[in-house]
Amino acid sequence: MNCEEFANSGLDFNPNENGRDAEAAREHLRSCPGCAALYERSLELRCDLRELGKATADAGTPSRVEMRLRQEFRTRHKTDKNRDRAVVAGWMLAASTMLLAATSVVLWPQHHGTKIAHGNPTPTLVTASAVANGPELGGTLIAASDDEKFALIPGALPALQDETSVVRVQMQRRSLSALGLSVSEERANDVVEVDLLVGSDGQPQAYRLPESTD
Amino acid sequence: MQIQAQERDDVLLKRSAKGDEEAFTQLYRRNQAQIYRFALRMTGRAWAAEEIVQDVFMTLVREPKKYDPSRGPLGAFLYGIARNRVMKHLERQPRELSLEQRIAENGTGAIEVPDERTPAHWAELRERRDCVRAAVLSLPPEFRETVVLCELEEMSYEEAATVLECPVGTVRSRLHRGRALLLAKLEMLRDTPKRANAGH
Repeated sequence: MNCEEFANSGLDFNPNENGRDAEAAREHLRSCPGCAALYERSLELRCDLRELGKATADAGTPSRVEMRLRQEFRTRHKTDKNRDRAVVAGWMLAASTMLLAATSVVLWPQHHGTKIAHGNPTPTLVTASAVANGPELGGTLIAASDDEKFALIPGALPALQDETSVVRVQMQRRSLSALGLSVSEERANDVVEVDLLVGSDGQPQAYRLPESTD
Repeated sequence: MQIQAQERDDVLLKRSAKGDEEAFTQLYRRNQAQIYRFALRMTGRAWAAEEIVQDVFMTLVREPKKYDPSRGPLGAFLYGIARNRVMKHLERQPRELSLEQRIAENGTGAIEVPDERTPAHWAELRERRDCVRAAVLSLPPEFRETVVLCELEEMSYEEAATVLECPVGTVRSRLHRGRALLLAKLEMLRDTPKRANAGH
């Protein structure tokens, strides 16, 4: 081993080691005072570094850092919990809205159907007639109540007076036959106004022909 | 919640991520000292080391999912963050200090290590230690961290390689080179007073 080789690898050599490299380094140290001095300084350095390591071995972070970190930890997780609660509340609100919307969609046609039925003595027949004749024929109006002139629709059960309302509808004269009236074929297509007495169940119970109707 | 003494770091971290403060405290107490010593030995400044430790554990509080247990132990992960912070700190240093300045600075308490032993013959030892510390701090960062981990922290080459994320051979060569640089720097320091005395 020459001086360059020793400088490249011999400095790390352990005097207690056995082996070809260790033996070569030992041999070189015996014959070269310069490298022996360098090796001596290298050993001193390692001792000094170990000493330095021991001197700072007990060093630790001041306790204020732990306090700060724990405070940050608490704040962070408290915020997270609040955020989670807000998310849950948001989802619940969205679910409630959806439920409400779904309920409305389901109930609306029934409600709408009831409204249409208000204009018909016999719902299926007269609805078709009203739709076929356009909005001006199918329109409904709340008429002034005068129960005495109403005639009971055949088959209808009379309800209590408090639970009824009077609805004025326009319909073709031929629809009056459904109310039990006789209609001449010549005037079957004429439009007439009829007041219907509608019960709380939406079913017409009685009718009357306003005075202007022939 | 009671924590077993031997509980693994990754288990503690999972608990900590769910808001278990005791787990986080345990994790901190287990790992803070080595990170602090590393930062202190790398920067030579207690305040910087304190800041770095705080940053490292703050990352653990804010982004616990950044740690992937399959990539190695939590200690190595924390060292990795600490290394980044140390490098940033060193980059911010306004100027390169000379060895003499470093010794003078250490004398004014950059690294304060309490030493209650005060016999006269310890003075030389202390001066020598200051010289070595200054020489370590003047090493380029890549050699400095290898010297700090292998010589001061007494890690094995393999452990140092895990922390430094490099092959064992690189650790060996950096350490060899670091020692050679230290020897040269210490030689220079020892010569400086001699030259100064010769000038008078």
